[in-house]
Amino acid sequence: MNLVRWSKAAFITAMFGMLAAPLLIVAGVSLNAKKLMFFPPKGLSLQWYPAVFETNQWLEALTTSVIVAITAGIIAISIALPIAYFLWRHKVLYAKALFLAGIVPFALPPVITALGMLIFWVEVGHVGQIWNIMIGHGVFLVTLPLVMISLGLESIDDEILEAARTMGADSRRIFTTIVFPMVLPYMVAGYAFVIVLSMNEYIISYFLGQHATITLPVQLLASLRSGYSPIIAAASVMFILFAVVIFSLVARFGDLPKLLGAWTPKE
Amino acid sequence: MSDAAVNRRQEDAVGPVWREQFLLPLKRFPIGLYPTFMMSVFFLIPFIIMLVVSFATRTESTYEPGFEFTHYARFFSPLFTTHLLVSVQFSVLASILSVMAAVPFTYFISRFRRRPQVIALVFLLCVLTLSEVIVAYSLSVVMSRSSGLPSFVEWLGLIDRARSWYPGYLANLFGLSFFNIPFAVLILFPSCTRLDRELTEAAQTMGASPFKSFLTIVLPLLDRTIMAALVLLFVFTMGAFVTPTWLGRPEDTMMAQLIANQALNRGNIPFAAALSMFFMAVTIILSLITVRLRRGDPVGQT
Repeated sequence: MNLVRWSKAAFITAMFGMLAAPLLIVAGVSLNAKKLMFFPPKGLSLQWYPAVFETNQWLEALTTSVIVAITAGIIAISIALPIAYFLWRHKVLYAKALFLAGIVPFALPPVITALGMLIFWVEVGHVGQIWNIMIGHGVFLVTLPLVMISLGLESIDDEILEAARTMGADSRRIFTTIVFPMVLPYMVAGYAFVIVLSMNEYIISYFLGQHATITLPVQLLASLRSGYSPIIAAASVMFILFAVVIFSLVARFGDLPKLLGAWTPKE
Repeated sequence: MSDAAVNRRQEDAVGPVWREQFLLPLKRFPIGLYPTFMMSVFFLIPFIIMLVVSFATRTESTYEPGFEFTHYARFFSPLFTTHLLVSVQFSVLASILSVMAAVPFTYFISRFRRRPQVIALVFLLCVLTLSEVIVAYSLSVVMSRSSGLPSFVEWLGLIDRARSWYPGYLANLFGLSFFNIPFAVLILFPSCTRLDRELTEAAQTMGASPFKSFLTIVLPLLDRTIMAALVLLFVFTMGAFVTPTWLGRPEDTMMAQLIANQALNRGNIPFAAALSMFFMAVTIILSLITVRLRRGDPVGQT
């Protein structure tokens, strides 16, 4: 019995350790004093963190990524909310088809979506613009807020809606006073997921940016190709911290296991 | 019955469906036009254009309208078949390896108490959303000669002289599997939380070891979810781009790299489009299989 418990603990620790190892190593490399890639770091220094903000190309890439992520999140939510609400209110084929259309982008390999969108923008004659990436990410990542908002709508108690209707509220009033406030946490969580994924997305940004608009992951890979610098590690660490903060906030203010599909027993 | 009568009957059947399922709902919910517009213009139309371009004639630097099957005919050339085989091989192995690690791992996490479970999930989400670039980069640090495992193994005295472990076949396979694990956990997590604790407890009261009860009760209950996870991860790995670029050798080039290379470096957009069409067809077939697998699953998502 003891052996089983020990091996179970060892296995769990090993898995977490393995998954965490790269993060710890990147953090270590970012602390190197000289412009070399050593782990453990030789000589400690925090100079590479401000360098991310002082070097023009890094700062530009960071700004681009943040603007793209924020806008892509708004686009994704603006598409996801009407689809989810439509399907929830009217279970018709039209709404089901729209829901399916919102699921497909995430299920396809992103390289296909990236190529399709690139050809589209080439045909339109609007290549390499930041808007292309914003819309691209918004459409590609619409699946996450769509699934989450639908989950939120399903959790609304029918009796509350019934009560509101009996008291004479029309559907607009029900939406603004009941539905919207109740799905808001799910919307925020969906928005957070889109932001983090957009910040980290490589291939769509690479295809649509066409060397004119460069996001942080594209900049990261380009710098890796041209030689190491602890700036790369420092930028990566900031990325990781960003994700930690966002997901911790989601977990703090929302029901994370439920958002990820955990089964919760009915009271 | 005459043909005309049959036709009229079909129109009667189709007409109301169109009106009730599409026109009337849109009249009651006109905002539905906006998502329809966005998804059609920025997702559906690009795919239709790509389909058309996959038949176009390639010119020196770009392509012109045409209708030829030359790009699809290249599917029989070694350029395509070798890379397809390499991709399939990596994807099968990486999905099996990651699911093997993820099944017990997810099962244990689903049995955590709430607080540690939330922390574990936050951690997994962070690893999951981490850019492929950062994961590949950090794994390459782990496998580099100067500062990773190779020098550690040298220090242990197991090998005489350390050398870099990447780029290489195993490095790429490990990178792809590593990248899949958090994704696999999140696919398996909902089903694992639905498993009835009483079943394993009952088995253990009757004298089965925890290991045996996991093998004989938990695994059979999860079989469909595990199959679905394998297929999803296979598709996911087939689309890998950064990991094989950074950790793999030239001979480990995978499908996504081939498409990107043809489209961006060689300017052969029609061939890249044809490849994408093939890739998409495979993905859709596999996705339909997972949907079918999940339907009627006792512990699947509802």
